[in-house]
Amino acid sequence: MIPSARLPALVFAALLLPLLGGCVTATVQEVREADTGMESHESVVVLGRRTLPSNRETEFGFVSCVSKNMRGGGDGIQVIDEQRFRDAMFPWFEPRTAPANTSDLPEIINQPELAARLEELGLRYLVWIEGDTDRTDAGGSLTCSVTTAGAGCFGFLTWENDSSYEASVWDIRTGNSVGRISSDAVGTSYMPAVVVPLPFIARVRSSACNSMADQLKRFLTTES
Amino acid sequence: MLEPALTTPILPARRAASRLLSAFTLALVVGCGGASVSVPPVLPVPLVEKIPLTMGYHLSDELLGYVHEESLEDSGDWTIAFGSAQTTMFDNLLNGMFEAAVPVAGPEAAGPDVDGVLVPNIEEVQFSTPEQTRSDYFEVWVRYRMRLHGRDGALVGEWPLTAYGKANARNYGMNSREPALQAAALAAMRDAMAFFTVQFRTVPPVQTWLQAELAAPAAAPTGGASP
Repeated sequence: MIPSARLPALVFAALLLPLLGGCVTATVQEVREADTGMESHESVVVLGRRTLPSNRETEFGFVSCVSKNMRGGGDGIQVIDEQRFRDAMFPWFEPRTAPANTSDLPEIINQPELAARLEELGLRYLVWIEGDTDRTDAGGSLTCSVTTAGAGCFGFLTWENDSSYEASVWDIRTGNSVGRISSDAVGTSYMPAVVVPLPFIARVRSSACNSMADQLKRFLTTES
Repeated sequence: MLEPALTTPILPARRAASRLLSAFTLALVVGCGGASVSVPPVLPVPLVEKIPLTMGYHLSDELLGYVHEESLEDSGDWTIAFGSAQTTMFDNLLNGMFEAAVPVAGPEAAGPDVDGVLVPNIEEVQFSTPEQTRSDYFEVWVRYRMRLHGRDGALVGEWPLTAYGKANARNYGMNSREPALQAAALAAMRDAMAFFTVQFRTVPPVQTWLQAELAAPAAAPTGGASP
């Protein structure tokens, strides 16, 4: 049983230690197919691919994280909220109707109602994100027990997460693909437990999100 | 003298452990008990070129109260109430697609200004849970039957419309059953609207009806245009 005087210290440690992360390795790659650049009134939308048969949808959290990070900072750009965009353009970006390739884009953007709405939104670039984060490996064991005398855990857990995302960027003005950015991150998390479990979480998805958002921002705003 | 001093801190710890155990047991029970959701009436208006006609729609009491109930052997009772979203769904859908859309009491009681009446009904609903499919997804299928009546109340044509929606339970954290199932049902409603929007003009009896109605110089005010 834990002496009651040490409990606050252990609880404090348990709350503090998750802030310390496990190790994450992130890589970003960029393929540019055309020149980019944005004017101050123009905006971008980041959409997760939700194609019907796929069972590997990009998590909402990742898409909103990329959007939020692209908006942030001194060099932030205007990013339209994904749900607001899908509602405003309904039903043309639903799983059943969304353009699969840039060749499908003219059919949509040449409709007068849609062209007017896109103009109203100031949309210049469409960013499609595919990919997800998976647990690729896990090991160890941890046992917890609760008795009338107290509770505690003992053991060691480790797991590896792998994030792999790719963003395709379409220019609405030209109707062409302008490039692709991939962001991959791998990290191992640990959780030793001697009475109190102490998680060392590798923020893999967050790392992939930050890398992708930074790269997308540079990619879209740097004229080349 | 020592005994009270030792027992005092233990009593709250016992109580805390007991409460923790109760909470854990409750979580297990709730976690295995299915879910009960209602589709929220939060649906968009389609952005399409409007058909210059006035469309009536009749939503039956059966549709407005439609609830799918199912008991699964391993995971309890599941309920999805679709009725709550139907009024918003068809009001938004038809107001987006037509110059005007009005609710009517029935296909024969539409009034002289209405060019046609849509009568939708849900024929069948199915759903699957992540446990059943060994995936992360809740999936919902809804099969509607659409009936289109002319201005005289006669049936112009009917066709099935199957909609599908899914939601990744991982997007909803712990206790994801209800929000994820609700999101899958809402996605199915959006899919039904999207499918109806793109399919409507291609349904053969609808094409014939549209040609006749759009070719007519104006709606007959007496309501007796077609036999």
